[in-house]
Formats: sequence, structure tokens, C-alpha cells
Amino acid sequence: MIPLYAFLEGDTIGLLLLAYPQETADQLQKKLFSMARTRVQPNGEYFVLFHGKVMDRNQTVAGLGLSALDRIDIRKGAAK
Amino acid sequence: MKKNDWLPLARKLDWKFKYVTEAEVFPPQMSGTPWLKHHDWKQWEEPYKTTYSEYVRGQAAKDAGLDAMREAVGNSEHYKTLSPAWLNSLKLYGATFPLAEFAATIGNLRACRFARDSAWRMSACFGALDEFRHTQIPLLLMQDLVKIDGQFDWTQRFYHTNNWVAIAARHLVDELLLTSNPIEFAIATNFVFETGFTNLQFVGLASLAQGVGDKMFEKMVKSIQSDESRHAQIGPAVMKILVQHDKEYAQFLLDKWFWRSWLLFAVVTGFSMDYFTPLEHRKQSFKEFMEEWVLKQFLGTLDRFGLKKPWYWDQFLQATENYHHMVYASAYTYRATVWFDFVVPGPEERKWLKEKYPGSWPAYEPIWDRISECWRESDPGNDLAVHGTAIVTFCELCQLVLSNGTPNQNSACESVYQGKKHIFCSEPCRRIFEAEPERYCDHKDVVNRVLTGEAPANVVALIRRYFGLDYDTWGKDVYQGQYAWNPADKKGGDR
Repeated sequence: MIPLYAFLEGDTIGLLLLAYPQETADQLQKKLFSMARTRVQPNGEYFVLFHGKVMDRNQTVAGLGLSALDRIDIRKGAAK
Repeated sequence: MKKNDWLPLARKLDWKFKYVTEAEVFPPQMSGTPWLKHHDWKQWEEPYKTTYSEYVRGQAAKDAGLDAMREAVGNSEHYKTLSPAWLNSLKLYGATFPLAEFAATIGNLRACRFARDSAWRMSACFGALDEFRHTQIPLLLMQDLVKIDGQFDWTQRFYHTNNWVAIAARHLVDELLLTSNPIEFAIATNFVFETGFTNLQFVGLASLAQGVGDKMFEKMVKSIQSDESRHAQIGPAVMKILVQHDKEYAQFLLDKWFWRSWLLFAVVTGFSMDYFTPLEHRKQSFKEFMEEWVLKQFLGTLDRFGLKKPWYWDQFLQATENYHHMVYASAYTYRATVWFDFVVPGPEERKWLKEKYPGSWPAYEPIWDRISECWRESDPGNDLAVHGTAIVTFCELCQLVLSNGTPNQNSACESVYQGKKHIFCSEPCRRIFEAEPERYCDHKDVVNRVLTGEAPANVVALIRRYFGLDYDTWGKDVYQGQYAWNPADKKGGDR
């Protein structure tokens, strides 16, 4: 498993997200929603950012070359 | 002889060394830099001068006053009459401050030996005695309360645990008080931490304690504050000479220690003022307190020395509206990881917070709506049903949670040093790390302790085995989530 720093827009704290190499951006997003559920009720569309670039929904952790202690951000809105 | 006839001579007892050099008596590693000849420190002068006999008489009178108050109200019956939310201010203060004050005794004692002028060394000696007193008084008073609430035992235990707040507090205290040389100690502790923050924090806490009817705590912090204001004067006296010889270093120390002090101060005082004090007793918000007592006063002091505001001033102002709210909401949903309890701000409190923080509070409303909703959906009294289960993340400088910035834009940022990735809660923490990376790079935050197997990855095991808490002592919702303004959904049961 690959530990990632994950920040969800609307939340007050960063969380440690443990990701599998084959997990997609979409799955990471759902996982973070679940981890932050006591503070954040997701509402509308979100997208995943890694190194300032939007991850395609189906891109995988391995495909993008994410490694231990990289950071992802899940931001609100439609991906541009 | 009258005091004024002998004190100027007695304060200045430096002499010329015959058999050793000045640098051997006061090596730069112990006395600090810039290393100047004594001639340059000769003008060191504290504004308020005292003698040992005056000091002892004054302290004895203060202790007698405290003893009388302890006799009258320092008992469990009195504490049972106080708001249960307020008691968490005492638990938070009680754990984080007394043994930090003991570390300050050691910092002062180093200055007693290695500070560069005899008047400075004498003032530091009084400072050491003060700080020892500030250790003993709260340890004694809080110990009285252990029989009514086991969480008060953390006054003694806190710094001896690997609780995440203790890791952060030790990281600050070790550098600020235990390892700094007398010059850095005087600027960091006396000038920034005490003059800028704690001296005034005690004024604010005393006022809150008076409002809620906590006479013992009010008397204690007033008594401590009167010592702080005396020994804090070491700071400006050192700063005056430091800016003449190395203004850039003075500015560096100021920028570094203002930010580091602010983070701990915001948590301890911000929680108390905006969450733990019952609404009817709140006199001003934490932000208003900062503006009135800290910012105006401190900026005036900087002007006097020709120093600039810290480079991150805009971020700091944003943090006065956000940081303690970010940490409080986060800590509420991880309350079992600390030794004190929390409350959910109800509709009236939130209305007040919105008035006091019109620019930032709207971003926190959905979070408290969500927490309230989770309580409505949970089984009554099931405290852990509204609690996080994921591992949270920590800043590799301040060791506090990555909860800086705003809910819409967390200000965490990264850096790479010697091939290793590091993460920080904010740009100031990153730059403090990057200015002295060798000083900080080997300190492991909780995440790195988990990843290297030093601490367990499971949150419950982490709380019990590593943070040192058990069901009796870990933090809970004061009202077990059962608030009249937030009735349970039917499926959640009766309240």
C-alpha cells in the first residue's frame, strides 16, 4: 500500500490515505470522502489534483507514478 | 544604606579575567552569538530593578494569597459548580504549561551562568525562581482535582507521554527552553513568547476565569502573570543590544519564534476563549483579544526597535481568523486522541462566532452541520460513532496537525531535503525548517513513526498504546452529543 497525504476541499485537516497501486482517481476520491465523513458531506462534483494537474478519473496510482508520501488534493468543481 | 545607594553597584559585578580569556568563560556555543566583548553588553539594563530581599518578600506575599484562596475554594465542591466545558480550559492549560515552565527554569539557569552581563544573569536568576514557582503552583492545584476527574492527572503525565500534542509541545519546548543559548532564549522566550503572548494570555485567561467564577484559576494566573511581566523585561533589554550589532539575526529570531509561539498559543487560548467559555461569560473573541492585546502592543514594540513585521504577516492575520477553528473542528472529531473533552457549538454559539468572524466562520458552518447530523444519526451516547478512524497528518516542523489555512484551501506545503520528502502545515513552518534543516530533519512526526513501525497504525491501538490514553481519560463530548437543540432522528433513538 502507498501512504499518501490527502486534502479534501471543505475539510479542516489532511488525512493519510493508504492507496493500492491499481486504485483509480475515482476510487481515491471515494475513499477520502469516507475517511472525512464526520466533518464533510460531499456536495456536487469533485476532481483529483496531483502536482497541480488534474488526474483523469480512471488514471491509477501506479499509472501516475504516485509514491509514498506524495500529496493529492480533492477539489470541488468540474475538472477543467 | 538606601537601596538606590548600593543596588547599581551590586547589579554590575563583572570583572576582568586574569588567567582565562573572556571567550573561555563565555564560549559562544553556550553564551550565543553574535559573540561580543563584555564592553558591548555593559549597558544592559532592565527597566524594573529589584533586590533579592524584595523578591523574596513579594513572592512570599503572593504565595500566601494563593494559599488562602486554595483553602477557600481549591476544593472539589467548588469545581463541581463550574461549567463542565470550562474545566477543559484548565485541563489544556494544566497539561501544556507547568512542565514547560520547568523547562524555562533550566533555560533561565543557563542564562544565570552564561549571559554576558551580571545584571542580566541576576535577572535570569529571578526568572528561574519564577518559573519553578509556575511549575509547582499548577501541579499542586490541579493535583487537588484528580479525585474529581482523572483527566487532570495529565497535568503531571502529559510531557512524559507520546501523545501527539505532547510530541508537538516537546518539539517547541526543547528548542525554545532547554537547548537555546541565552541570546536566543531571551529573544525567543522573554521577548516573543512572554512579552508577545503569554504575559497577555494570562491577562485574558484571568478575565475569563473571573467571568465563569473560577476564583482559584483567576488568582493563579494573575499571580503568575505578575512574575512574567517582571522577567519578560530581559527580552527587550537583550534585543536593544542585539539590534545594534546584528539586526538581521534579531529579525530572523523574531520571525521564527513569533510563528512557533503563535501556533501553541492559538490552540490553548483560542479553544478556551471561543469554545470552552460559556457564551454568557465571553467578553471578546480570540481574534478581538489578539487584536487588542497582542497585535497593537507587539507591533508597537517592534517599531521601537526598528524591526519589521514578520514576513508572513498577511498569513498570520488570516490565521487569527482560522487556525484555532481548523484545529478545534479537527480535534473534536479526533477527541479520543487527547486528554480533555469538547463541546459542539450550538446555534447561539455559532451565531456569536459568525458575528465575530464574519469573513471566515461561514466555511465552518457546513462542518458543524455535518457533525451535528452525525450525532442525530448515531445511537445516543455512542461517543465513538462521531469520531474519525483514519490516521491524521502532521507538520514536520511544529508537529501539530496539518490544519492550517482554511477549509477551502489547506495551506500544507512540501519540501525535499537530502532526497527525503517533508510536509509542513504552512509556508512559515516550511521556511523555518529550510533555514536550519539539520536541526529538524531527524525528528519523526507521528506519521513517520507509524510508517517505520514505531507507533501502531490502527487508531485505537495508537490512542491506547502510543498516546497513553484509556477509556476513562480520553477526550469525549462533554454532553455525549446529546444537545437539546439537536434532537436525534427517530432511528437514532430517544434523547
